Amino acid sequence: MNLRITFLAAILFTAISGAASAQDVTVAELRVFPPAVNLATSKDRQLMVVQAVYSDGITRDVTAQAQMTLANPALVRREANTFWPAVDGASELKVEFAGKVVMVPVKVEKAAAQRDISFKLDVMPIFMKAGCNTGSCHGAARGKDGFRLSLFGFDPNGDHFRLTRELSGRRIDLAVPAASLVVEKSLGVVPHTGGKRFTPESELNQELVRWITVGCPNDAAEIPTVTGVEIYPKQAVLDGEGETQQVTVVATYSDGTDRDVTGLALFLSNNDNSASINEAGVVKAGARGEAFIMARFSTFTVGSQYIVLPKGLKFSFPAQQPVNYVDELVNAKLTKLRITPSGICSDEVFLRRIYVDLVGLLPTTEEYTKFLADPAPDKRAKLIDELVNRKEFTEIWVGKWAEWLMIRTTNQVAYKPMLLYYNWLSDQVGKNVPLDKMVQELLGASGGTFKVPQTNYYQNERDTLKVSENVAQVFMGMRIQCAQCHNHPFDRWTMDDYYSFSAFFSQVGRKGAEDYRETIVFNSGGGEVAHPVGGRVMAPKFLGGDVAQVAGKDRRDVMAAWLASPQNPYFAQNFANRVWEHFFGVGIIEPVDDVRVSNPPSNPELIVEFGKKFTASNYDFKLLVKDICKSQTYQRTTERNESNMTDERNFAHATLRRIKAESMLDCITLVTGTKDKFPGLPLGARATQIANGSTSTYFLTTFGRATRETVCSCEVKMEPTLSQALHLLNGDTVNQKMAAGGLIDKYLAEKLEPLVIVERFYIACLSRKPTPAEIENFKPLFVAGSDAKKGLEDVFWALMNSREFLFNH
Amino acid sequence: MSKQPQKITGTWQDDPAHFRNANVSRRGFLTVGALCGVGSLNLADMFRLQHAQADLKTYDKFPATAKSVIHIYLPGGMAHQESFDPKPFAPIEYRGEMKQVQTKISGELFGETLVATAGVADKLCVVRSMTHGEAAHERGTHNMYTGYRPSPALQFPSIGSVVSLQYGPRNNLPTYVCIPGMPNEFAGSGYLSSAFSPFSLGSDPAQGGFKVKDLNLPTGIDDSRFTTRKNVLAAVNDYFAKKEKSDDLAAMDTFYDRAYSLISSPAAREAFNIEAEPAPVRDEYGRGTAGARMLLARRLVQSGVRLVNLTFGGWDMHGQIIQGFKNQMPEFDKAFSTLITDLERTGLLKETLVMVSSEFGRTPKINGTAGRDHWPKVFSVVLAGGGIKGGKIFGSSNSTASEPEEEAIGPQDLFTTVYHCLGINADQEMMAPGDRPIEIIDGGAVRKELLA
Repeated sequence: MNLRITFLAAILFTAISGAASAQDVTVAELRVFPPAVNLATSKDRQLMVVQAVYSDGITRDVTAQAQMTLANPALVRREANTFWPAVDGASELKVEFAGKVVMVPVKVEKAAAQRDISFKLDVMPIFMKAGCNTGSCHGAARGKDGFRLSLFGFDPNGDHFRLTRELSGRRIDLAVPAASLVVEKSLGVVPHTGGKRFTPESELNQELVRWITVGCPNDAAEIPTVTGVEIYPKQAVLDGEGETQQVTVVATYSDGTDRDVTGLALFLSNNDNSASINEAGVVKAGARGEAFIMARFSTFTVGSQYIVLPKGLKFSFPAQQPVNYVDELVNAKLTKLRITPSGICSDEVFLRRIYVDLVGLLPTTEEYTKFLADPAPDKRAKLIDELVNRKEFTEIWVGKWAEWLMIRTTNQVAYKPMLLYYNWLSDQVGKNVPLDKMVQELLGASGGTFKVPQTNYYQNERDTLKVSENVAQVFMGMRIQCAQCHNHPFDRWTMDDYYSFSAFFSQVGRKGAEDYRETIVFNSGGGEVAHPVGGRVMAPKFLGGDVAQVAGKDRRDVMAAWLASPQNPYFAQNFANRVWEHFFGVGIIEPVDDVRVSNPPSNPELIVEFGKKFTASNYDFKLLVKDICKSQTYQRTTERNESNMTDERNFAHATLRRIKAESMLDCITLVTGTKDKFPGLPLGARATQIANGSTSTYFLTTFGRATRETVCSCEVKMEPTLSQALHLLNGDTVNQKMAAGGLIDKYLAEKLEPLVIVERFYIACLSRKPTPAEIENFKPLFVAGSDAKKGLEDVFWALMNSREFLFNH
Repeated sequence: MSKQPQKITGTWQDDPAHFRNANVSRRGFLTVGALCGVGSLNLADMFRLQHAQADLKTYDKFPATAKSVIHIYLPGGMAHQESFDPKPFAPIEYRGEMKQVQTKISGELFGETLVATAGVADKLCVVRSMTHGEAAHERGTHNMYTGYRPSPALQFPSIGSVVSLQYGPRNNLPTYVCIPGMPNEFAGSGYLSSAFSPFSLGSDPAQGGFKVKDLNLPTGIDDSRFTTRKNVLAAVNDYFAKKEKSDDLAAMDTFYDRAYSLISSPAAREAFNIEAEPAPVRDEYGRGTAGARMLLARRLVQSGVRLVNLTFGGWDMHGQIIQGFKNQMPEFDKAFSTLITDLERTGLLKETLVMVSSEFGRTPKINGTAGRDHWPKVFSVVLAGGGIKGGKIFGSSNSTASEPEEEAIGPQDLFTTVYHCLGINADQEMMAPGDRPIEIIDGGAVRKELLA
């Protein structure tokens, strides 16, 4: 039935948008890439790309149509859209299209000189481009079919050795370079498991042969290294299936030169369905959607965002006054995508949602009545301000932090230090200590695990490498584990980055204290991390930053001072993203602890703004929460419209989220009027207050409470299971609590009408009154002569088993 | 078999929203674009979706030789040298110090701790040339539960979840059961709806007084009262169901339906009652972990569960491998040999495929701590029953058990063959988020030599 309505509406929608024709669009901006052309030595070249941005936001590749004229045409030789050096000099390229003009400076140097071939700069990229050094081919740890290359080229010297010295004479033929096995295999002229990788005419082949011809030299010790890679255009909005856009990729080197590496970069799309890219760097639009196009060259991966719209789509954003920057930025993205957001939810829905999200409980009947009766237009904002000051709010976040910090008893951490650690955490979060202070105090801590309980951080995990991985994952949202053994395949992290970051944690000393349960964590002042390839001692270097000055200091202090500061842009953004995820069920970057180039934020502007605001507010966590909750974006309904039906990542509607294990148990306890007893806590304590990750109950485990064994955000499991259904239907939680609470007896003793009691249960469980149709349904349970108590038990039981109860919506 | 209801109502299968709506949290590795099949569902999209479904490679099911599977998983990476592929003539540093026993297959030896299993070797098919490239536990485990290499872009479903999708529940029992619980994240439903995830027992059948939780109605609630409750619940759910759509919601509905059928069927519940087995049978299996788990597995497949996964022990023996084997293997040996005999005796072996596997084997040479390290290049998997040839040694490793010598077989071929026994063509495609058709197994071949 529902589906049929959707169909009809879909037909109407299509008809309307089909009838309107595209008109009155003009070119708003002309973009020419790259912004400057620098050609040096005879082999250099530059592929130019011209992109027109139209007034309706659509972009087109107009390179072929644009007029390109060079003031001094003698400087370069043009082949299609690629410029080659001809004569030294400087000039300007004038690019014209539809009345718009862009000037691009052009410089040509050493046009006649030939640059010597370099193994690292010219040959290594061939192995990456042709896929030779991937994990499934020769990049495997033991190589493939007897030949090994380092994975994604993390060890060029080793690769040079294996090519030229291993099985001497087999792979390279200096006498007849083109007959070298490495060449013949790549061309597929001899049997090769990987088949033909490139053609004899290709530049890849010519460069490889040229390198062998000159004697397979390795590079001198000091050669320029790649310092950055850019992909152009940075953004595109393609109008309909089949539209194309050429990209151009430029690498910059430590000697200040740059190079067009479009032909050498490896291209990937994270969503081929919407936009695919071929080897030559031509993006082709597919189905409506969004894709991230990536180019990998050397250790760099860069990406740009592509939006594909149905051809000729008409759209206007509904007039809505944004509440704050959250709405402005979310709406901006929705406008780009031509998505209309859902409306604002009712007071009843808002009330339940905000209670579950902020305090992990349901509103009581009194709170429900009071809020609905309040005529104040700003009552939602007032309620938010009120709830963030409740202690339950703090407890929710202490629980989250306890997951990230893995607070639990282990072989190394006894109950007492664990509890002290938890109390320290509660204290910090409760006082709204600025996040940078708290993290610096945590990571730089020295002392006994009793007296300075945050030192337990170094007891929960004692392995140097693991500690550094955890720090990166929790406080920066980055998984650097890959780089332990090879350069990260989908991110910028190299093995050097990994080991120089772990060097911050190589001098953590531990010794026993008087009490056998206590350990003293201190700065031992000695101990280094060596790179597994070559055994170099790695100097501590900030992840994505500079080498640190650590002489005479505790390395952890230096690291923490950088980590939790504006110098590290990931810190504030990561935390804001985690907070966001709590309220929307999905992060702006998702998963929240997998920040990498190839996993871009769904709304980059929003996460950057969060980072700025959070830093500027001196890391005021409560303010951040208020900004999010007061936005329209948070207060939308879950009901979708035609245009946001399929969207899951751009916050155009609210999302159904199952309530987290601890909060769910607390809610059941609350509505049944019962009390729980957990080990180490007084009777009546709530599940959210359990300090120890190793303490659990059947209910909590079944509903996916984190065991806190790892820092991964995947520890908390939200998926429904058969065991959950069985437990709610038959288990002791619902049935026993219903009896133990005695609410039905109490209400009946007060001589309340059964249907009035039903309404109370509805308000307590679902924060709404039953609909007239529902009341009708229940009437037969309470006809004269029936057992009202049984009927009420059945309704109460059903409410606690209902999907509406189990989900926050 | 192929007449079984395959479509499970209330799941994503009959919900077109699923194909637009990726369940974000579970498919964490996917990135932004793939997740947001942005846009309105207009008619063209609808046709495209139907078209995409029509484009899925599908095959008719064919008569299955295996109606059920018992998958015994030995976590940690069991050494092939000390178990099913000893090398008595290799130098001592390769063969290790353990002795061998003669099996019922003439001329073939097992490790000395597998005495009873050697006696049922004529029913087994020992694959000695298993190979893959993943030497890390989680990656190897992924291979041996899904038949795929781990991918950063997609979480693959386990064989149990695929079987759940292909065949619905039988006799009101869950299709896929894990004893005692889901052993690792790869045993789950991956990119498929969580409606196909396993049922975890929640407690260990080896424990005294073992009972699966929450199978029976609470005291004071009889069948008619439960029916009333179900009706009231349906009435309460109605309002929400009309308003909301989500993958998790549909999965929750499915699980409630499953729970109802399980609760209302005494026969189904009885399948979990290990106490109903006569004492001599329990003793024959052994009262320890391995015995109880395997006996319960037999009860479950006998009653209708399609795939039972159970784990036993810890086999990551980097040190003191002899002691490790002597501690754990005898219990496995007793239980496993009894399971095979028992299945044969009850006629179930014909239609029940038993698979013993591990994430990888162990290094050819004994290391400095008298153990062996990870070695995925060659290791052994044991199959039996359900259309698998008995008394067969398939493939071989070289003289030091370091590489496959003959008939190397990867996870793709192994799983394709097992699916074949189940009447499923593994080349068939399933729909992953973002309208991505993915084969059940990519590029595997049925190894006919394994089949009876």
